[in-house]
Amino acid sequence: MSEFILQMKNISKTFPGVKALDDVELEVKHGEVHALVGENGAGKSTLIKILAGIHKPDAGAQFFFEGNEIEINKPNDATMKGISIIYQDLSLFPNLSVAENIYIGQDSHKRSWNKMNWKKIKNKAEDALNELESDINPNSVVEQLSIAQQQLVEIARALAFDSKLIVMDEPTSSLSSDEVEKLYKVINKLKKRGISIIFISHKLRELFEVSNRFTVLRDGKFVGSYVANQTTEQELIKMMVGRSVTYEKNQSKTEVGETILNVSNFSKKGNFKDISFDLRKGEILGLTGLVGSGRTELAQAIFGVSSPDTGSVKLFDKEISIKNSEQAVKHGIAYIPEARQTQGLVLEQSIVNNISLPVIKKLRNKFKLINRKKEVEIADEYVKTLDVRPPLPELNAEKFSGGNQQKVVIAKWLSADPSVVIFDEPTNGIDIGAKTEIHKLIRRLANDGIGVIVISSELPEILAVSDRILVMRKGRISGDLGVQEATQEKIMNYSLEGSGNVKTNQVANHSDEVTQEV
Amino acid sequence: MKSLLRQKEFSIFAIIVVISIILSIVSPAFLTIGNLLDVVEGNVVMGILAIGMTLIIITSDIDVSVAAITTAVAVSVGALFSYLPDSWISLAIIFLIAPVIGLLIGSVNGLLVSKIQIPAIVVTLGTLNIINGLVLYFTNGRYLNSTNFPKSFLSFSNVEIFGIPILIFILVFVAILTWYILKHTFIGRSVMAIGGNQQSSIRVGINYQKVKLFVFAYMGFLCGIAAIAQTAYTKAVDPNGLLGLELTVIAAVVLGGTNIHGGRGTIHGTLLGVLLLALIQNGMILARIDTFWQNVVTGAIIVFAVSYDHISYKRQQEKLAKIEVA
Repeated sequence: MSEFILQMKNISKTFPGVKALDDVELEVKHGEVHALVGENGAGKSTLIKILAGIHKPDAGAQFFFEGNEIEINKPNDATMKGISIIYQDLSLFPNLSVAENIYIGQDSHKRSWNKMNWKKIKNKAEDALNELESDINPNSVVEQLSIAQQQLVEIARALAFDSKLIVMDEPTSSLSSDEVEKLYKVINKLKKRGISIIFISHKLRELFEVSNRFTVLRDGKFVGSYVANQTTEQELIKMMVGRSVTYEKNQSKTEVGETILNVSNFSKKGNFKDISFDLRKGEILGLTGLVGSGRTELAQAIFGVSSPDTGSVKLFDKEISIKNSEQAVKHGIAYIPEARQTQGLVLEQSIVNNISLPVIKKLRNKFKLINRKKEVEIADEYVKTLDVRPPLPELNAEKFSGGNQQKVVIAKWLSADPSVVIFDEPTNGIDIGAKTEIHKLIRRLANDGIGVIVISSELPEILAVSDRILVMRKGRISGDLGVQEATQEKIMNYSLEGSGNVKTNQVANHSDEVTQEV
Repeated sequence: MKSLLRQKEFSIFAIIVVISIILSIVSPAFLTIGNLLDVVEGNVVMGILAIGMTLIIITSDIDVSVAAITTAVAVSVGALFSYLPDSWISLAIIFLIAPVIGLLIGSVNGLLVSKIQIPAIVVTLGTLNIINGLVLYFTNGRYLNSTNFPKSFLSFSNVEIFGIPILIFILVFVAILTWYILKHTFIGRSVMAIGGNQQSSIRVGINYQKVKLFVFAYMGFLCGIAAIAQTAYTKAVDPNGLLGLELTVIAAVVLGGTNIHGGRGTIHGTLLGVLLLALIQNGMILARIDTFWQNVVTGAIIVFAVSYDHISYKRQQEKLAKIEVA
């Protein structure tokens, strides 16, 4: 028998315009906990989705399970072989009972007309739950369980179907530390039964605690596989961030002016807590942290999409109340969302119509009809200054490339003459050339006296555009760095949990200093 | 007991009790067995359709063609009547053919929704119009009375068991059958599963298309049965008789506690929803309230019920914290 339970070889995946995975391999031994590590966007989820059969890999991919080559073309090809995947958001049915959730599993598609044998179903669930030493009642409805219990139900489902390999995608992201300890025990139990586990997590400390080996991915490429107790945290961080694509780090020293925006004591339950910061004229504030650290939630609260439980926003030293996004726009705050195609643009309409959208009310003549001539003038001007290509304002937005679409979104908000602009992942899905152009554009906005916040997971981007960088972790600001002192490793340290407590204290001190300055 | 009180069905039941008390005070004619049986018998068609609609709404879809399908089957049955002899065989043939016609039309809806993945509202609006057009073409809008009906069918429609009209037994049979499918077969649980979390159902390999096809085909099957009930109840075939009924059917289902976002719904809840709507309408007739006010009240109740449902859904969503804040 082969040493490995699972081998994935020559895995590449090309999405239109992006190579998400480039010749990646993953080898998991029998009975080991194997961690899959990488930054946001490194390709971990894509790899797992390929294993799950949700994405189809490019030609040449090979899969071996217990030494035999297998085909994975559609969902369940892998699960039928004994691989269970526990997604971060779980695959349970909240409206059904625990027993039903365990029963409705991998081979569901074969049994549509079967009668539900409630006794068998309940016994199977009880057996699996007993094995995990859990006291969850198989009759309770899943939505009434805590997240940790729901996770156990998923693991029980994997056991009930005799899985030999269980993939856990960020299983600890929504667990308390107690529950994490319990999960470790469960994992050890599974290991003793000879079940292999692929473990995905951003928390380095726990990776070292539970895993035997790990595989590092970076920018869709395979960096290497390493034995856990022969590697240090610092080495691992370096492998995760060392990059092939680099931008120039922002060197320009901008004159920082008066405070434009002041956010103080922002808290929203389950989203973020005690957020305070200043944004000054001409300054670009980078906001980073892992996905799920609360960055976007914070930005949306500032923009009025959701309302915080406590806290206040001051614009030019005047406290303002923002109940919805319309008010935010009135106050001169613009938010350029991550999904520009669905949230930022009306794709089926011309560039002119898109750009004039925020100011359409101001363009009405005395009969309350829209002054088309003025509309076109404004659009023409922005198309010229932002260098939108092709320079055809009457063309529908869907005809433009990602980078040029983003320029149109920016133009749209500039036409409203904002004092604060928040960019959420401004260059997501845009090719490298266009990225630097967008970065320049953002810098120009700041030079024109607009306060700019840039949210990005891409550390080189954050370093390239920001004057100051706020790092978020678990809904709090864990680091506040000037761009001169910032490095990718430092930011990573603040984003990740458990990379040395000493450093975290330093962060706390540092942010104290900042608040005193203000 | 506590869990019983917390169930949505219980609050509907409570409302029904309150309305019944009010109605029996307002009109002494209300609380008589005769009137109550009339109310139920008069709403058997709505009940049968609402039961099928419950499955569809649980999978978070909708079918607005139910009244049209029922009419189409009724018209076909009416056309068939003149060829059928006056024996019990005819009855058997009707009970065989009507559900099959309905099933076929429902399957067309189901195939378009599941295989081609057109939104159900679009598909069923389309079939609704096609069927209504065809029905008008073939009937010229003419009402068909019972002169051509086989005697056996007429005597069937007058059968009473223990003083209870036969149509009520048909409704009960449909209710039990559907309840059994929903609760005790794998496909029934898959219906619930898809409505509960579509993403999960795909991940665990439930044949999503088959389940969608099933709920629409089954809806068609029930339309066939409803067509028999309608024909037996009115002893006539009226091509325009059921116009607009689909909205009342959907209202009854939602009123009965089925979540318009899917995943939640029970057969007994739907029956209570039908009963509630029926009682309100009956009460307003007894109280001699104008027809258009009846529509206003029914509409208001529907809007209220859906709003309430949606608000509690949103509250529940907000409670789900996304990030564990340290």
